[in-house]
Amino acid sequence: MELFFLAVLFLIMMYALGSGYPVAFALPGAAIISIALAGITGYLFAGDSGAYFIQDGPIEWLTAGVTNFRGIYWEVERDTLIAIPLFIFMGIMLQRSRIAEDLLVTMAQLFGPIPGGLGISVVFVGALLAATTGIVGATVVAMGLISLPAMLRNNYSKPLATGTICASGTLGQIIPPSIVLIILADQLASAADQAASERKSLYKEATGEFSMPSTLDIVSTSAGDMFLGAFIPGLILVGLYMAYILGSALLRPSTAPAVPYDGKLLERAFIQKVILSLVPPLVLIFVVLGSIIAGIATVNQAGAIGAIGATVMAGYRLREGEKDAFYPVILATVSLVVIALLMTVFSINIRKIETGMDVVGITAAVIAVAGFVTAVVWSGWRTFKIEDTLNGVMLESAKTTSMVFIILLGAAMLTAAFRAFGGEEIVKEFLTGLPGGFWAQFVVVMLVIFLLGFFLDFIEIAVVVVPIVSPILLADPTANVTAVWLGVMIGMNIQTSFLTPPFGFALFYLRGVASSAVKTLDIYRGVIPFIALQLIGLTIVGFYPPLVNFLPVRTYLTSETAPPPKNPRLQSCLEDYLFNTYMQDRGRLEAATGEVASLDLSGLPKDIQRDLGLMVSNVNGVFDLVQNIRDAEQAIEVASVDYRPIHGEVRQIERQIRRNNKIITALKLEQRGTDSASKIAHIREEIAELDAENRALKAEIPSNWKSVNKEFRSIRSELTKAQRQYRKSVDESYGYLMTAIDVLTASDALAAQETSLKALLNSVRVNGNHEEGRDAIKAVMTNFSAIAGTSATMALLDEAGKNMRKGREKPEEARTAIQSALTAFNADLSGRRNASPEMIATLKTYEAEIRNSIGLRQQSRLPVDIATEISGCLAKHRDISLSF
Amino acid sequence: MTTASGLHPLLVKSCRFGGIASVLLALVFILNNFLTYVGGMPGVYGTLGAAGLLGFSAPSGNISGGMLTMGWLQVLLVIAALGFAGYYTTSRGTLADDSKHMDNLASYIIRASFWAVLFVGVADAIISFIRVEDIHVALFGKTIATKLGLSSWRGLYIHIPLMVIGAFIAIRDKSVSVIWLILLVVIAEMLIVLARFIFAYEQTFMGDLVRFWYAALFLFASALTLKQEGHVRVDVFFAGFQDRTKAWVNATGSVAFGMPLCWIVLVLGMSGKASLINSPMLNFETSMSGFGMYVKYLMAAFLVVFAISMLAQFTSYFFKALAIMNGDIKPDFGESHQEQGA
Repeated sequence: MELFFLAVLFLIMMYALGSGYPVAFALPGAAIISIALAGITGYLFAGDSGAYFIQDGPIEWLTAGVTNFRGIYWEVERDTLIAIPLFIFMGIMLQRSRIAEDLLVTMAQLFGPIPGGLGISVVFVGALLAATTGIVGATVVAMGLISLPAMLRNNYSKPLATGTICASGTLGQIIPPSIVLIILADQLASAADQAASERKSLYKEATGEFSMPSTLDIVSTSAGDMFLGAFIPGLILVGLYMAYILGSALLRPSTAPAVPYDGKLLERAFIQKVILSLVPPLVLIFVVLGSIIAGIATVNQAGAIGAIGATVMAGYRLREGEKDAFYPVILATVSLVVIALLMTVFSINIRKIETGMDVVGITAAVIAVAGFVTAVVWSGWRTFKIEDTLNGVMLESAKTTSMVFIILLGAAMLTAAFRAFGGEEIVKEFLTGLPGGFWAQFVVVMLVIFLLGFFLDFIEIAVVVVPIVSPILLADPTANVTAVWLGVMIGMNIQTSFLTPPFGFALFYLRGVASSAVKTLDIYRGVIPFIALQLIGLTIVGFYPPLVNFLPVRTYLTSETAPPPKNPRLQSCLEDYLFNTYMQDRGRLEAATGEVASLDLSGLPKDIQRDLGLMVSNVNGVFDLVQNIRDAEQAIEVASVDYRPIHGEVRQIERQIRRNNKIITALKLEQRGTDSASKIAHIREEIAELDAENRALKAEIPSNWKSVNKEFRSIRSELTKAQRQYRKSVDESYGYLMTAIDVLTASDALAAQETSLKALLNSVRVNGNHEEGRDAIKAVMTNFSAIAGTSATMALLDEAGKNMRKGREKPEEARTAIQSALTAFNADLSGRRNASPEMIATLKTYEAEIRNSIGLRQQSRLPVDIATEISGCLAKHRDISLSF
Repeated sequence: MTTASGLHPLLVKSCRFGGIASVLLALVFILNNFLTYVGGMPGVYGTLGAAGLLGFSAPSGNISGGMLTMGWLQVLLVIAALGFAGYYTTSRGTLADDSKHMDNLASYIIRASFWAVLFVGVADAIISFIRVEDIHVALFGKTIATKLGLSSWRGLYIHIPLMVIGAFIAIRDKSVSVIWLILLVVIAEMLIVLARFIFAYEQTFMGDLVRFWYAALFLFASALTLKQEGHVRVDVFFAGFQDRTKAWVNATGSVAFGMPLCWIVLVLGMSGKASLINSPMLNFETSMSGFGMYVKYLMAAFLVVFAISMLAQFTSYFFKALAIMNGDIKPDFGESHQEQGA
């Protein structure tokens, strides 16, 4: 019955959407009606309103829906969504103040004279404009209104002109900062959580172990990550578009003729115009994206920067031609420069005002900020006064924001209904049941999204489809894709769908604003090459995931919150990198180690001698350990060739058995709840059938599976062993070296303790004040504990202290212990003194030599160049299915 | 019988009755919810149960005579709402007028809520700032300083008076409204940027303020967006429909999809002490961080504002669509999709 109501839900939804009632209410409305229908029929025919739900009843599911609904803004975790209104405000401000239009017109004039130049500038501006609005319709309409007439006037072929505009208009979805990427990030983050727990339970079922190693975790995403991830694919698309236009202009000049500029290109006024209309938007985009990419600002803060920047720009654009037009923007720039200078000179922290300098710095900063705020308010006042711009911007932004969010709310309700009727399970069953594994699932999902793109806008797909399918795709260990990559692929896919005749959204928008001289068929013909380009882009990104993953990973590894090099998730790539450097620098490393080995250590403290000796042999042994790991990896690779198919087959069978078991449990529950004899018999029959199927399935498992599995595991444990050995060895080596350096460089500090140690013999006396004696010992111990390598002396002092315990004072024995401590101290000190400055220098040079190789795991963070190297490796998807 | 262009008068009347009654009942429902859970009255169901009427179960515990009287008052409110709706639809008003009234009601609710969140946001952010910087004792003395740390005190003596002021201003002033919230969000986030990047100062309440206004923005602006055709439609077919068909879609959609959503939010959010909206509001819930703003309970109330303003707006929309079908007014369907930011 659940299935029936699932179908009802879909029919109502399709009717509601098709009828053209606003999506934001059609979705939750369909959900409410179908839940209510199921509840009522259940109550009437089964006596229980919850009878036709997968579990619980209508009230619970509707409450869950309203809770989802509230969840959009209730929890701090969803705060990324706040960036959406900010970016919308920025985009609409740029449009309303005609800055966007200026950009388009000027670019066209600038690039017009080269073949295809007009088209190229449309692509360029489309990418930029898109970056600021992220709404397909808005960009296509704006560009259709401004650039289509210009292109046609200059004898561009109609298909090329329309295709260029449609394609560039849809670029907004993929080029950050796009609001769709933010929504996708929001949805994918929760999907990744869901997938993570799924994968954990899979791991538990497959291996019987409780905790999954973090190396097998799913890589989640955030809005910042999505922006970074979509950046390179977006540029690739822009590049492809431009190359295509240039190509057709060169091959068939009549389709995209050069447009000579009627004025002089180098005229002062024109250059001024170019700079004025080109530079500010570029700077704004650069600052907004740059602050996110550099990890300085959160996406929300970048959004605010963008909104304010757009307002300041509107402030001068709206008063174009007046003498005072640029006053506010000059004031703002000057204030910002002053603030930047102040921040390099003073440490401005309002919480830490300590010196007079701080007061001066803060005061100056407050004045500069006041200047900046004045400039912003001034510009804002202009937008308010001139042509009612601010009001229009606020109205449009508020409406657009509300439109976006109410869809999010509505979809939250729909998701509840979908779950209530078991839709999630069905989709999961269907997808995981597909032959061909991950890639088959992926292709099916992409196809479905592509088709949905004909009817639904970006946001609806992101909030309705993504939460359902992406946990399944993300959980799959074979492909082990990152959430960012999946998001970007989905984004590019929907974007392609918008271009595809006969339903593509972009085509509708353009049709709406294009003159009747342009035939619909022209538009269709125009977009076909761009669809091909999109597919090429999609293929490139699909086959080469680092294009997406690299930037987010690198930003993460170099950010302030970067994981330490010891982090288990980094090890595999870190070692790949290190092993290569070992092999390349083997000669140098061995020579440096040889130098340390040739040092005359004889006079040094015993433990230091031992440590350094161990270190040298360890480092020399590293190459063998590395070879062991490589051999073990090789062995796994060889073994997986035979193991992989049988492993896949068995896991498939086991999944089927688990599925059957789940059904059996449900049936048994049903059996207990019913009295009807015929029904019980029916259920028994079904259970028996499933049991038989399970037995058959079990028989299908190859007889040698157990031994094969065991063998493979033992081969794999060889690798783990080798890795552990290697890690222990390098960690110890570097540790020894660091201790030796610490100990040897501390000899002066140690020598300074001599007097106080000797004085102890005066404080601790048979007839002395025991209280004082105790305190004196304690004080000396505190001093010693700050110096490296004094454990021998410390142990003896500790004994002395114990002998002075209150009530059980044995001063004589304490004095003996102090005497021995003094002896130990002298031996230690003279040993340390034997280390010549040259020796210490050699050790320090050696430390610098191995710091980023042998010692890398012990550092607190990765150096930037190594982080970059490793990001390239981490950005690849690794098949981890054999661990499950 | 419907005429060629008009609707049957009885159909019009019953639609008007249904729409008006639904909005009035929702208002009474909210009022009664307040009286029941804050005033301790038995509520409509409780009263009917105590009287053994209509098969409602009697409430547990004893109800004093005074409270029972108040309970009958609550019942009376419901009856009055229905009665008024019946009287009004039979004796006066037209679809077009009703649509305008409902629209005015929605606008007023939104305007009042806007002023309320503006005042409460500013005031509570200032109080939070004063508290987190520990200057509240010096400013207000010890007793009030302690009270400022209590969310219930802040709610009762600071937020509610400010909301009342907001409700009054909304009566007088009609020029400023919810769209200003977007500017407030921008400003609040800009203050975070300035404070964080220049003065290295960051506090929870600053983020809370942004979230408070941003949630208000999209929930409150929804009614306006509906009125101005800003909610996206799938217009594959819709664009080609005739005006009458478009109006039909709007009318049926509002009744079938829109109004139930509002009612579900209201009823499920406010049925019982532990429900979604009542529970945070009755407890003056705050966010986890002690020094953030104390307005989380109001963010639960945003759902009430959303539901009631949307209900009124849907009713207005419904009446307008009916009026178009009836030939009373000329249609003006905006190009909904293309208007987005263009």
